[in-house]
Amino acid sequence: MSKKQFMKNIVISIIDGDQDKIQESARDALKANIDPLEVVELGLSKGMAIVGESFEQGESFLPELLMAAATFNAAMEILMPEIEAQNKEIPKAGTVLIGTVKGDVHNLGKNIVSMVLKTNGFSVVDIGVDVPSLNFIEEARKVKADVIALSSLMTTTMPSQKEIIEILEEKNLRNEYFVIVGGGPVSQQWADEIGADGFGKTAVDAVDLIKRLLSQRD
Amino acid sequence: MLNFLDVYERALKGPIMSEEEFDIKVFIPRLNEVVKRYGIHYNKENPVPSDDMAADNLFEAAVDFMSQVGVYCQDTYRIIQFSREEILEVLREAPGRCFAGEGKEACVFGMRRPDEKKRPWFHVGSGIVATSEEMATNLIEAYGSISEANSISISALESIRGIPAMAGSPAEFYAAIRGIKIGREALRRAGRPGLPIMNLISTAAAAITTIAASAPQFGLRTTDGWLCGALSEMKIDFGALNKVAYLHSWGANVGAETAPVLGGYCGGPAGTAVVSTAYILMGLLVQKGNYQLSFPVHFKNGCSINRDVLWVVSTSCQAASRNIPMPVIWLGYMASGPNTKTYFYEAAAHLLCAVTSGAPAVQTPHPFKAVKIDGITPMEAKFGVEMGKAACQLNREEANALVIKLLEKYESQIETAPDGNRYQECYDVVTGKPGESYVRLYHEIKEELAEMGIPFE
Repeated sequence: MSKKQFMKNIVISIIDGDQDKIQESARDALKANIDPLEVVELGLSKGMAIVGESFEQGESFLPELLMAAATFNAAMEILMPEIEAQNKEIPKAGTVLIGTVKGDVHNLGKNIVSMVLKTNGFSVVDIGVDVPSLNFIEEARKVKADVIALSSLMTTTMPSQKEIIEILEEKNLRNEYFVIVGGGPVSQQWADEIGADGFGKTAVDAVDLIKRLLSQRD
Repeated sequence: MLNFLDVYERALKGPIMSEEEFDIKVFIPRLNEVVKRYGIHYNKENPVPSDDMAADNLFEAAVDFMSQVGVYCQDTYRIIQFSREEILEVLREAPGRCFAGEGKEACVFGMRRPDEKKRPWFHVGSGIVATSEEMATNLIEAYGSISEANSISISALESIRGIPAMAGSPAEFYAAIRGIKIGREALRRAGRPGLPIMNLISTAAAAITTIAASAPQFGLRTTDGWLCGALSEMKIDFGALNKVAYLHSWGANVGAETAPVLGGYCGGPAGTAVVSTAYILMGLLVQKGNYQLSFPVHFKNGCSINRDVLWVVSTSCQAASRNIPMPVIWLGYMASGPNTKTYFYEAAAHLLCAVTSGAPAVQTPHPFKAVKIDGITPMEAKFGVEMGKAACQLNREEANALVIKLLEKYESQIETAPDGNRYQECYDVVTGKPGESYVRLYHEIKEELAEMGIPFE
């Protein structure tokens, strides 16, 4: 089988969400001495990009994204030991720490943003819902985040987004991270008011925003 | 029949798994199977279908789905499971009514069927945040002054003495109590102190605040209604369960609050319709609710007026109204805000869809996705009631034709819908009266809609 055909099979498995088949294809690719990083870049990432694009166009929904991500992870179980054995690293677009602020247990919007970020090659650390403000900052430091993404679905929990920015300022850490905000009642006006670096109305907006912010830094 | 403690016990003993496993290995595959097995299909040409057999088929699919999937408890990581027999037993024994209100406002909130001419229960108002007590009082007084209003939804307060009412904080507790006091006072001013407030407690995001501020000395009664929400999708947490335990112990009305998200874990319209119907079973089984608030929304814009969401509202409302004895309030989130033409088109479409599909109750639609502070006025509530009365003169087929015409007027603008005006921009804050331009727009729109064939009284 040609390298091109290997990659095509991997892409199709991601789109179909077929975890058994992708593990088989990944094993076959390694046996054929194909560089595992090439499998990631030209197979897995390409498949994820196609699923992400379909989601952006409204042709597929969160279940397809989740299944694609699970299939990606299934392939990585096979590829990662070989990548590590070769002392190689997978290039990342950036690390985003994401969570829903204190008092708010809504997770759907956050989960969609996480998935779309992953399909765009970001490393995403999801710290869950109802997260105390200080935890965001401690975790951001631990995971060396580039971006802190704060979700809030309720007007009454939005002040926590402001609080996190204030704590970052008090601790002289504000310049260490980009802070972006999102959620149903959140707006650009609110983001400006609290000094956030940006606001994403949709998951796709959030990804574009993060790419823009990180490119400015670079 | 299972009581609430039995349900809680299952949250301690059901199958254990991570939330992600539940989503990926249970919820999504079972939903896909059920959609396929029952042949549930979305037809964009008919946002309001008139097929009773399809409605009953959707109900059967929802029962099957609920018996296979159950409800995930986030605090115990376990699935609360129900057998098909237990689901059917709950349906046999559910009273299908809720007693609400006091004195001359005491009423029975019961069921309606698709195409039924009986008026729905009118739940008037919104939990949108108000920046000042004066504004909240004016709004609630105006809602109470709508004679057809059967129950009221009161505004949330954003702060108390200038301190933000952060969820779970002491400020939230004080604001919650203040909000209740304002609600009662405003309804007294409207001459209807017995009207039930059925969106409790709008200011309280935290369960502990809801329970604390519900103590009777702060003004609430068992004949009001509390909302105990499920989480997306088919999940619940101890916060909601604690509220349910408290309210059942007090004998108060429990409203199961559910908002299936089209495009989220439910996938497309067919899956969302199954989940939307299953949520009403969940309301009876888990929250042991005696009424429900349901508001399917689209994942991209948080609205209920996209064509596919309207189809979900209509089909799941029909499935439930024909088969599940649970009085459900169907609520719509509009894309446009107050004092805009498109708000009225969107609200008309949603109400036509819900009322003719057998909604036992409708809530007057929330402007601009309910996210703009002060972004609501009594005019939308007045329109909602008049539109609801007109809609119950029509059947599903007639509503379908009208909804298609209305979609032509707003569908292409959903993503860029105007946020409209805030209360203080189109109402006199002191007198509580609407400005001339808004009154003029209101009459123009009503004339336009009447010409389209909507039979306003």
